[in-house]
Amino acid sequence: MQMSDTFFVNWTTQLRKGLLELAILNTLGAGPLYGYDIVRRLGDVDSLVINEGTVYPILSRLRNERYVESYIEESSSGPPRKYYRLTTRGREELRRMNEHWTSLHGAIGQLRKEGGR
Amino acid sequence: MIELTPDAKRRFDEYLQRMRVSLRGSRSIEADEVEQNVIEHVEVALAGAPSPIGPERLGTVLEQLGPPERWLPDDDRPFWRKAMDRVMTGPDDWRLAYGSLALTLLMVITLPIGGALLLLPAFLMSRAYVALMEERGEPLGARKWLILPPIVFVLVLLCAGALLAPAGAFGAILSEVGIRDLGFDYNTRFERGRLFLGALSVAAGAWWIVLSGVFAMLMRPFRALFAPVTSGLKRGHALVLTIAGVVVAALGAVLLFAF
Repeated sequence: MQMSDTFFVNWTTQLRKGLLELAILNTLGAGPLYGYDIVRRLGDVDSLVINEGTVYPILSRLRNERYVESYIEESSSGPPRKYYRLTTRGREELRRMNEHWTSLHGAIGQLRKEGGR
Repeated sequence: MIELTPDAKRRFDEYLQRMRVSLRGSRSIEADEVEQNVIEHVEVALAGAPSPIGPERLGTVLEQLGPPERWLPDDDRPFWRKAMDRVMTGPDDWRLAYGSLALTLLMVITLPIGGALLLLPAFLMSRAYVALMEERGEPLGARKWLILPPIVFVLVLLCAGALLAPAGAFGAILSEVGIRDLGFDYNTRFERGRLFLGALSVAAGAWWIVLSGVFAMLMRPFRALFAPVTSGLKRGHALVLTIAGVVVAALGAVLLFAF
């Protein structure tokens, strides 16, 4: 692996780590989901989730910080499933995070435009 | 509930065990909750597969989940795990520097039970770090303080051994020879002390003159072996040892013959 490849891989890894919480909260923005379903939906976003297991510790932490809450629901196609949904606090935090992301995205877009890229 | 073959069950149990170990110590994550989610994930992912499910089929799902050791973000890992991971999986320069420091500390702690043996691997790791940085053309940076102790220990031991041990042995032999064969007849403790000190100084001075020649010839490998401590050494430093040898030998001769 060349030096520039290493730099790019490190950069995307850091970016992914930072964005995963935002992505999980946004996934839950539409309504309650169980863990496997969250992982599948995030998996549809190219390169966002390399190791699917990383989602579960984040879900646990978000629940500990009361941004999401969980409940068990019976399933017709197997054992009971653990669902996650946003709390009021989580919804408010998600709104702030999305605003920040939009602002950041806009600023980077502006910088790219100025740089001719 | 899915049905696993004994091999697959063993593999899954091992995976969950690894996961529990990697999540241990995290303050904001509940390992039980993560484990429950992972079991549910595997059950849902393999729900349609024909039973019993073998290790290969299970392995595909576990590979997608990834190694549990990489699940935790940095800020969730306890400090000791971060340090350990850095040493075990970090870039070579970090691993060598921290490995060398760890071995040096272990050596100091276990000195009474033979810990001194760890000095050699600690020294070799420090040397490897220096060589790696030279190869990359990078400065040693702040991490040089982690790798210096074993280099200094070995250097001090080697120098002390090379300078003093042969000189002491030669001095002892010389004073013995002086009393027996050269006709010195010293009966008081002071006179015997003078003879021994004089013989020791003559022997040390002569040995240092020889050693300075060897030192001058082997300057380059010596400098490389103990870099960065010896990086500033020049051939002129060998001359200092020669002069010290001449002075010490002359003082010894005065002690022996001038009274």
